[in-house]
Amino acid sequence: MNAGVGYAAIIGVFAVTALIGFYGLRISRTTEDFYVASRTVRPWWNASAIGGEYLSAASFLGVAGLILISGADALWFPIGYTAGYLMLLLFVAAPLRRSGAYTIPDFTEARLESPAARRITSLLVVLVGWLYIVPQLQGAALTIRIATGLPPWVGSVAVAVVVCITVVTGGMRSITFVQAFQFWLKLTAIAVPIVFVLIVMANSGLTVPAVAEPFAAEPVGSPTAGAYRNISLVIALLFGTLGLPHVLVRFYTNPDGPSARRTTLIVLGLLSVFYLFPTLYGVVGRAFMPDLATSGSPDALVLLLPGRLIPGLAGDALTALVIAGAFAAFLSTTSGLVVSVAGVISQDMLGGRVRGFRLAAVFSSLVPLGVALLTDTTQLAGSVGLVFAFTASTICPLLLLGIWWRGLTDAGAIAGMLAGAILCGGSIMLSRALGAEAGPMGDLLAQPAAWSVPAAFAVMIGVSLMTKNRRPAGITTIMTRLHAPERPVPAPNR
Amino acid sequence: MSREDAPGQPPKRVRVTAPRSQASRAPSGYPVAREVAEQSEVGQVFVRSLIRSQLRLAVVVAVGFLLVLLAFPLLLAWVPGLNRAEFLGVPFVWLLLGVGVYPLIGLSAWLYVRTASRNEARYLDLVEEDE
Repeated sequence: MNAGVGYAAIIGVFAVTALIGFYGLRISRTTEDFYVASRTVRPWWNASAIGGEYLSAASFLGVAGLILISGADALWFPIGYTAGYLMLLLFVAAPLRRSGAYTIPDFTEARLESPAARRITSLLVVLVGWLYIVPQLQGAALTIRIATGLPPWVGSVAVAVVVCITVVTGGMRSITFVQAFQFWLKLTAIAVPIVFVLIVMANSGLTVPAVAEPFAAEPVGSPTAGAYRNISLVIALLFGTLGLPHVLVRFYTNPDGPSARRTTLIVLGLLSVFYLFPTLYGVVGRAFMPDLATSGSPDALVLLLPGRLIPGLAGDALTALVIAGAFAAFLSTTSGLVVSVAGVISQDMLGGRVRGFRLAAVFSSLVPLGVALLTDTTQLAGSVGLVFAFTASTICPLLLLGIWWRGLTDAGAIAGMLAGAILCGGSIMLSRALGAEAGPMGDLLAQPAAWSVPAAFAVMIGVSLMTKNRRPAGITTIMTRLHAPERPVPAPNR
Repeated sequence: MSREDAPGQPPKRVRVTAPRSQASRAPSGYPVAREVAEQSEVGQVFVRSLIRSQLRLAVVVAVGFLLVLLAFPLLLAWVPGLNRAEFLGVPFVWLLLGVGVYPLIGLSAWLYVRTASRNEARYLDLVEEDE
C-alpha cells in the first residue's frame, strides 16, 4: 500500500477533528453548553453523535473480518449491536433521561441512596471503559501498520495521545458536533468504496474467481461457532449495550423522555444502514481475498479490499477514505470513553475539580494504552463482544431492576454486580488460561453471557428480597420521577 | 433561561469547577399541584399502573422480537432446502440475517414508541383530571 496515502488520510482526520472541535468550541462557551450541550441538541444531531460514538473499531473493521472468517454466523454480531439499541429504547432510554443523573454511578446513588453501591458502580464503569478502549487502540495499531508501514505501537500511542490532548484541553466541549461529523464520515468511508467496487465488478467484468465461494457455509479459517456461542453472544450484545457508559451519557442531551425515545429510534435507523456495508465487505472479501482469513489479519479486510480490486489513483483515494473512516472510529469511541471514565474517576476519587478531571483523563488514556501495548488481539469484534458480556452481567441488571422494580436494595445491587463481575470476568480469564484444554466446557467459559447474566439477576433479586428493610425511604418519589412523563407544554397557572 | 444576550456581545464565560451530579429537570412546567397529586394515594395508583403498563409493553415487544429472531435459525434448520434456497444468487440465510432483521428491529421500535407515548398521554389525562 502507498504509505503517502495512509499518512495523508490519518493526518487529515486528526486535523478535521481538531478543527471542528476548535470551531465548535467558539460557539459553545456557556456553562450549559459545557454540560450536556444545553440539552437543546436536536434528535437528529444527537442520534448521529450517538452513532459516531458507538461505531467503534469492532464495527468498522471487526465485523467484516469476522464475516470473512466465519461466514453467516458472524452476521449475528451486527444484529446484536443494533438490537442492543432496541433493548435500550424499550427499557432504559426515557426513564434514565428522566432520572436526571449524568452518569451510571449518579443513577445508582439517586436510586439506591447508598454511597457504597455508588462506589462499586464507579469501579465497574471505569473497568468497562478501559476494557473497551483497549480494542480501539489495537485496531489503531493494525491500521497504522497496514496504512504506513510504521511499527504497530505508533498507532496505539498516536490515538491515545491525540485523545488525551483533546480531552485535557477541553476540546471535547463541542463533542456532539465532532461525534456527529464522525458518524457521517464513517458511513461515507465504508459505503463509498464498496459501492465503487460493486460498480467496477458489474461493469468491467471483474468476475468472481471460480474457486471462491462467498456464501459457503463452512468457515474459511476457524471452526464453526455452534448454537450455544451464537445465542450467548446475542445475549451479551443485546443486554450489554444498555450498560455502556459512553452511550448512556449521551442521553442527557435530550430535553425530555419522549425525545430520548425519538433519538434512539433514529439511532436504530442509522445503525441498520451502516451495518449493511461491513456485510458487503465480508461477502466480497470471501470471493476475492480468502487468503486473508488464514494468513494475514482478517480485521484488515476493509482497509485492503478497495486497493486490491481497484487499481491506480481511484484505488488509492478509496483506500485513503477507509483509513480515514477507521481512524474516525478509533478517535470517536476512545474519546467518548475517556471522557466518561475520567468524569467518574475525577468525581468519585479526585474531588471533582477540573484539575482532577484532567489528571483522570491522562490516567484513563494511559492505562488502556499500556494494556493494549502488552497484549495482542486477533479478533477485534470478539474482544469487544467480551466487554459487552461483562457489562451485561454487571451494569445491565442494576439498570433494569433499578428502573422497573421497587424492591431493589443497595445490598442486592452490590451483591449482584459483584457476582456478575466475578462469574463473567473469572470465566473469561479461565478460558484464556486453559485455551484448548478446557474441552467441552470451553464454549461455556469463553462466552459466558448466557449463564452469567441470569446469575447476576438472580443474585440481585435474591439478596434484595432478603434485605427488604433496606429499601430506600424515598422509593415512591424516585419511581414517579423515573416514569411520570414531562408535561408537553407548560401549563398556565391555576 | 436568564442569559443576557446583548446584541454583538458573546455571553459571559463561566468557570465550571465540578460536574453537577444531578442534571436539572426538563424545563417544562411541573406544577406543585401535580407533584402533590402524584404523591397522593390515588396519584400513586396512577403511577403504579403507568409503570406496569409501560413494563408490560416493553416486555411484550422484546419477547416478540426475540421469538421472531429465534425463529430464523430454527426455520433454517427445520425447513428442508431453505438452507440452499437462493434469491438472485444470494443464499436465503444471508438475506435473512444480513438484511431482513433490520426492518424488523425498526418496526418493533416504532410500534413501541407509538404505544409508550399513548400510555403516557393517557396517564397525563388521568392526573390532570384528578388535580
